[in-house]
This record gives sequence, C-alpha cells and structure tokens, in this order.
Amino acid sequence: MTSRGTRGAFRLAVLVILLALVPLAAHAQEAYPSRPITLVAPFPPGGVADLTARPVAAAMEKVLKNPVAVVNKTGAAGAVGMQFVATSKPDGYTLLLALSSISIIPEADKIFDRTPAFTVDQFAPIALISADPTILVVPADKPWKTAKEFIEDARKRPGQISYSSSGIYGTLHMAMELLSHSAGIKLRHVPHAGAGPALTAILGGHVEALASGPAVVLPHIRSGKLRPLAGWGDKRVAALPEVPTFKELGYPDAEFYIWAGVFAPRGTPEPVLAKLRAATRAAVAEPEFKAAMDKLQTPIALKQGDEFQRFFDTDAKRLAEGVRKVGRVEDKK
Amino acid sequence: MLETLGNLGLGFSVALSPPILMYAFAGCVVGTLVGVLPGVGPLAGISLLLPATFGLDATRAIVMLAGIYYGAMYGGSTTSILMRIPGEAASVMTCIDGYAMARKGRGGAALAISAVGSYVAGTVSVLGLMFLAPPLAEFALRFGPPEYLALLLFGLLVLAYMSAGSMVKSLAMAAFGLLLGMVGIDQMSGYFRFAYGFVELGDGLGVVPVAVGLFGVAEILATAGKATPPAVIRPRLRELLPSRQEWRESAAPIGRGTVLGFAIGILPGSAHIISSFVSYVVEKRLSRHPERFGQGAVAGVAGPESANNSATSGAFVPMLALGVPSGPIPAVMLAAMMVHGVSPGPMLIQQQPELFWGFIASMYVGNVVLLILNLPLVGVFVNILRVPYPYLYPAILVFCILGVYAVNGSVVDVWIMLAMGLLGWVLRKLDFETAPIVLGLVLAPMIELSLRQSLAMSDGRYAIFVQRPISAVLLAMGLGLVLLNLYSFVRRGLDWRARLALADKGEEA
Amino acid sequence: MRTDRASGVVLALLAAAVLEESWRLGLPLGTLATPGPAYMPAVLAGGLLVAGVLVAALSRSTVTLGEAGWSEWRHTVAILATCAFVALGLERLGYRLTMALACAVLLGAVERRRLLPTLLFAAGLAGGTYFVFDTILRVQLPRGPFGF
Repeated sequence: MTSRGTRGAFRLAVLVILLALVPLAAHAQEAYPSRPITLVAPFPPGGVADLTARPVAAAMEKVLKNPVAVVNKTGAAGAVGMQFVATSKPDGYTLLLALSSISIIPEADKIFDRTPAFTVDQFAPIALISADPTILVVPADKPWKTAKEFIEDARKRPGQISYSSSGIYGTLHMAMELLSHSAGIKLRHVPHAGAGPALTAILGGHVEALASGPAVVLPHIRSGKLRPLAGWGDKRVAALPEVPTFKELGYPDAEFYIWAGVFAPRGTPEPVLAKLRAATRAAVAEPEFKAAMDKLQTPIALKQGDEFQRFFDTDAKRLAEGVRKVGRVEDKK
Repeated sequence: MLETLGNLGLGFSVALSPPILMYAFAGCVVGTLVGVLPGVGPLAGISLLLPATFGLDATRAIVMLAGIYYGAMYGGSTTSILMRIPGEAASVMTCIDGYAMARKGRGGAALAISAVGSYVAGTVSVLGLMFLAPPLAEFALRFGPPEYLALLLFGLLVLAYMSAGSMVKSLAMAAFGLLLGMVGIDQMSGYFRFAYGFVELGDGLGVVPVAVGLFGVAEILATAGKATPPAVIRPRLRELLPSRQEWRESAAPIGRGTVLGFAIGILPGSAHIISSFVSYVVEKRLSRHPERFGQGAVAGVAGPESANNSATSGAFVPMLALGVPSGPIPAVMLAAMMVHGVSPGPMLIQQQPELFWGFIASMYVGNVVLLILNLPLVGVFVNILRVPYPYLYPAILVFCILGVYAVNGSVVDVWIMLAMGLLGWVLRKLDFETAPIVLGLVLAPMIELSLRQSLAMSDGRYAIFVQRPISAVLLAMGLGLVLLNLYSFVRRGLDWRARLALADKGEEA
Repeated sequence: MRTDRASGVVLALLAAAVLEESWRLGLPLGTLATPGPAYMPAVLAGGLLVAGVLVAALSRSTVTLGEAGWSEWRHTVAILATCAFVALGLERLGYRLTMALACAVLLGAVERRRLLPTLLFAAGLAGGTYFVFDTILRVQLPRGPFGF
C-alpha cells in the first residue's frame, strides 16, 4: 500500500515533526507564566465548578497578564478531571478548580478496595474561593416547622422520612449523613443523578427533605414552595438570617460546606505557588469578580496558605469519617 | 389569553429589535455550524458555547443560546440524512430512512421535509409552551420515579416493534444495548461496574460515541473499501424539493410527531431522547406500507424529526413555569440565566417579563430564521454528495472524531466510537440492526435508576407502582397493548417465534 | 457455520461472560425488594442469553460466516488503524498535527491520491476545522507540545 507519493508525504511529515521540536528546547527556562494556563473544571459547563471557574480565570488572566483558559474535563462525578490534574506536570500551567467532592472520592474508592483515582495529597492548595453551607429544606406542605420537629419526628419513625441527593457519596448525600450521625436519626436515602434531579424530586413531592446549596433553593423558598429548617454552616446564611444552624441547635458535627478552591498538582515549585497565591488574592478583589459571584449569590470566602490547608484538612477528615460511617450501602441490608 | 398576547407583543418588540435579532441570527448560524458536527446536538452545543455568551447582557445571551439550541437541532439532521451520522441520540432514527432517501437521490427532499417538520414542530410547541406551561408544569412534576418507570416500560415495548427484519435478532440487539447501559458507577450503591480501572467509564458508555460509531463509522468502513466507490449523486435543481406526493405523506407524521414529542418532552429527565424512537414506531404501525420503513419512507423522516424538535421545547415547560431544572438542556439554560444574575424560579415571569417573553418570542424568530437559512442551504448541503468518496470519508472521519472528542474532551470517547464502528461493521455483515442497541443504551440506566429509586421510596414494596394513579394507568395501558398484540398474534396464527420473543421480552421487563 | 448460528452463540457466550464477570467483580445481587448493583446486569444478561440461544436455534440465514462478504477488510483495518493513531496522538501531538497526518495517510497511502492534493487537503482540513471550531467558536481542541 505504498506509492512514491506517500513516501514523500511521510518524509515530509517526519521533517515537520523534527523542525517543530527545535523551539521546544528553548522553552524551558522562562519566567512563570510564559504560556497559557489551563484551569480544569471537573464538571460540565453550567455547574457550580464551571460557573466559579469562569470568573476566577477571567480575573486571574487580568492579574497575571497571561491567558487562563477554563477546560471542562468531566466524568465520574469529577474524578476524571481531578485525576487529570493530579497526574499532570507540576509546572503551574495546569490548575484545578475543585469542589468538596475532592475529599470524598478517594475515600469512597477506599471503601470499595479500589485503587484510588487520585489522593488528596497529590494536590497543593492555592486558594479557597467560596464555601457555602448547605441548608435543609422540606416541602412547605409538610408539618415540620423547625429542625427540632423534623429531627424528633425522624427519631420516632426511623428510616421513614425520605430525602433526595445528587447521588451516593455525593455532596448532598454526605451533608445529610453528617446530620444523621450527629442527631442519631435514620433517614431514607433516594439518590438521584445530579443536583438538578434531586431538586426536581423534592419540588414534585416525591421525597420529603433535601440538603442543598442556598443559591439553588432560594427562589423556591421565596415563592413558598420549600421551607428552610436549618443550615450546616458555623454562621447563618446571609440571605436567610432567620434560619438557625445545626451548631446552634446542638449538633456540632453537622457541619458541611459546598466549597470551591483552586489547586495545583503537588510538587509545583514554591515560587510558582507563591505567584499563584498572590494572583488569586488579587483576582478575588477585582470588582468584576465580585459582581460575577454576586450574581451567582455565592459569597466569596477567601482562605490561603496555612488557613486553607487547615480548613481543607479538617474538612477532608470530617468527610472521610462520614464516608466510612456510610460504608458500603449494600452490605448493610 | 389576551394578556398572553399582549405579553407576546412585548416579547416580539424585544426579539425583533435589531441588536437582539442579530444575536438570534448569530446564534442560529453558530448552532447550525456546531450541530453539523456528529455527536454535537443541542445539549452539547449549548454547553460548549455557553462560555462564549458570558460577556453579553442577560437578554442577548439567552436569545443567542436559544438560537444556538435550535440551530444545533436543525444541523443534526443534516449529517444524519446525508452521511448516516446521527447528530445526536435523538436523530438515530432519521439516519435510517433519511439516508436511504439520500441514496435514492431524494436527499434534498429529506432535508427539506425535516426542516419544515422541525419548523412546524418548533412553532407549534412554543405555542403549547406559552398557553399550557403553568398547568402542564405542575402535572409534569408529578412524574416521580414510579411514573417514570412505567413510561420507560412503554419504551421497551417500542424496542420490540422497531425491527424491520427478524424480531428475535432485534431483541437480541436490544438486550445487548441494555447491557451496555450497565457500564459505569452504580448510582444507588457506588459500585464501579465493568469499568476495569477506566475512570472515564464511570459515567457509562456515552450515547453519542456509541451512536456515531455504530452508524457513521460503520457506514464508512463498509463503503470505503468497496471495489467500485459509491456513485456520486448529482442532484438536479428540480429534484431538490419534495414532490407533492412526498408532502402529502409527511403532513400527518409531522402533526403526530409534534404532539407526541411535546407530550413526552415536558416530563422531567431525559425522556425527550425516546420521543423520536416512539414517533418512528408509531408511524410504522400506522403506515399502510410498513415495509417501506428502512427503505426511505418519508414518514420515517418527518415524524421523528418533528418529534425530537418539539420534545426539546417541551422540556422548557417546567423550567419556564416553575424554574425547575427538569432536564439536562433546561439545566444549562438555568445556569446561563444565573450567570447573568437572573434568578430563575417561579417568579421569573413577573420579575423579568421582557426577558421571559423575549426568550419565547425569539424561539419563534429563531425557527423562522432557521427555515430561511436552511431551505436554501439544502442545495448547498446536497452538493456535499458530489465530493468523491475518497475525499469525503476522511473528512467525515475528522468531523466524527472532532465532534465526539469535543463533547467531553475525552479520548476514551473516541476509542468507544472506534470500537463501536468496528462492531457496527461486523453486525451489518451478519444482518443485525443497530438502532435497538442505541435505544437500549439510552433506556437501561433510566429504567434501573427509576426502579431502584421507586423501591427506595417505598421501602421495597412493589405496590408503589399501582398505588400511584399515573403509574397505575400507564402500566395498565402497557399491559393492554401487550395483550392486544398477543391476541392479534394468536389470531393471525403468526409463527411461534414472535410469541417466544414476546415472552422473552416480558422476562426482561 | 451459518452467520446466525455463529452470532447467536457469540451473544450467548457474551451473556455468560457478563454473568461470570459480575460474580467475579463481587457485585452484590441484592434482593427483589432491594436490587443490588448486579441485579439488572444479571436480568439483562439472562435476557441476552435466551435471545442468543434463540437466534442460533432459529437460524434462517443461508450464508456461512466466510461468505458474508468481508472483501473490504484491508481497507477497514487501514482506516481503523489510522483512527487509532488519531486517538493516541490527539492529546500528545495536538489536534492539527494529528489530523493532518491522519488525512495525509488516508488519502496518500490508503486511497493513493497524488502528493500535492493530499497535502493540501490534509493541511486545509486540519487547519480549517481547527480555525472554525477552536479559534472562532471556542470549542477547545488540544494543542501539541509545540503550541500547534
């Protein structure tokens, strides 16, 4: 299957490749950043991670005076994109915008004796961008007016009150599990394929409770379809000042945030990390960024350096424990 | 009613103002371009292009996204008809008869019919959206897991009727497709099933790479190697438009497809994908010449194309009336609104009437723009078939890989497409149909999830399916359909194979 | 062996393999009231097994496997191999280079077109699609290590 023409084509192709390799060598020793940075969002466009990543990238681009492109690497509840960054070259040109699930996925892998797709120590934290506590909502036609009534009723009827979640070991599931353990109650879990379907399920009256980020359920609380009972934060949610936290109600372990943070692969040189920390700090102060987050109704909660590391570690520990307590669902039946 | 018309007037005054109109037009063009990529349908189209609209103001962005969305929908049928490459899962059925028409030199007619069908379906379903949205939305939300399962069992019945040839063989393919749908993380327990260490398989085999592989790539593999390359079709101008006969044959299917698609589309979840399959089967059952299906039946293009178009507008019913992200496409649209500071929800209509009605009006405008854009383009597109095959197929392959890769940015999807291409080629040689595989792959995860969700809701009691009125009615109807068919099989004394196949079917359900 | 008989047997074997695999992977079957992760696969594999046996048993085909017309297999293998190269190279060499090389091979080596049109076509298609979809429409396509 060869002809003179093809041989020529092949020779030409080889030549092209060799020529293209030449400038590569000259590339190595330049000041960071000297080429476009990729910010990986491990969830599809339109999701929380993507919607946070876009303004972050735009603001960082302005600060670093260097293109920052958001790339959606989706699949397996975020594991695909996270693994991609964990194993990419630690040169500061591939960053990750992760959500709380980054600490859950490796633990869930452990439960099933799987080789984890990645581990949390494969990442160097750069900055926490936002941390929104979940809030507990129930349909407005249900009898529970307060979290206390809800928990007492759940105690009386273990395993009878159902709630929807974004999927097993998903963020919305973990929030409920942390509450169940803290309050010593048992609820009936009906997993759905994502946060959207979980919300649709409670609005349709197919389940009786849902833990959700505040921004998504606020319009439905305002229209009177859903009733907020309590929040998982250490402070009340600004938009819902009358809703107490579980901490106030005496369930200190029921603390959970849907947070978004920027990470680099572990092993990224310290000067690059320092530059990135400075860049994100300046980026979140940009008025455009503030306006964008305002529209998403997500308060900015910048944490960096040791503070972020501590937050990340405590959060990861709490979630790891939560996942272990859930264990393999099938084995319990 | 009057109020709605007045509001619509407001909407049109927004949609027809020159800058907004320009964005609608740009959206339509861009959507068509992206939609022509195999595998990139309306969902992938707006997801991919969503970031491009972040810089615009809310109304312009939403109008442009609506244009992209409709454009991608129209663009998808083009490749299905001309090259047998499904633009998305919903145009798989168009591939069958559309491509057969194109091979007979009626490609122009097929394109024109699908454009007109899409236009009618788009316009009528927006009417439905405007006048029926509030009551329908409440009804749609009552579709929980048990109702969904009952509906999906109907989908399984569709599988049984889809075949043109041997029923046993198409049921075997259906079972195979359903099994393929089992790959990935089990959403109820967290187990990885049949993934063999590939994280990318966590979400299962994508419908897009499987459909593009089984149809598009398999077609290339089978055709490229023929000793005599396929004849170049030189369409004449006169033959571009459908004949009077073809118009007549397509009128009723367009009407039925529109209603059917809208009804299925309003349900939450991904039910809209099955609308085109259902429409195809309905047309085949109602047709006086069912034997023509698969050989280029006009109704086999007109019905499904209208159905998938009106189904996706139906999906906007719960979103616009209640602000509920009831399916993947509305979810992306809601996200787009949030980016622009529009808080989606039940109050949207009151708080931002010009946005809401502008959006509705631009759906009309978009449909008109696309009709104007697409009918003349039929002539251009059909001329693609003049390209000699040795040049055409590498280009098609490039587009297939580009489209499949772009949707998730995943090379694993490209591999799946190639494997399915090889499989599709082998199955063709062995005289198996591949459409049931695609429908099976779509149905399996939904059936499994809704069955297990229902049982989780009822604590393991199957009574939930008959206690809830909607699911009870649906199940009774399904059972009636099965009995009716059994009866007619028995009466006609049809061979025992069909009955065996049906029993086999019952077992799967 | 007739085609139907062969394919029926293969499908049945596949079904059996799925059953064996779900047992080997340790997926719990669950109960009727609480179906486990292996429940649906087992039911479906059972269905496929029955269907496969029926296809084989009710075989109506008159064509044997060898006669099914595999004449174009060389072409098929060549095309698939080129596509496999694309899949391997896409994220390593970048979109434009990979696609141009693949098109050049398909046109030049497989279809034996002349050099000049081959190169023009390959470069034009790869560069053109990249320009339209990546540069204009912002659908991100991979760049190679040479920024290309």
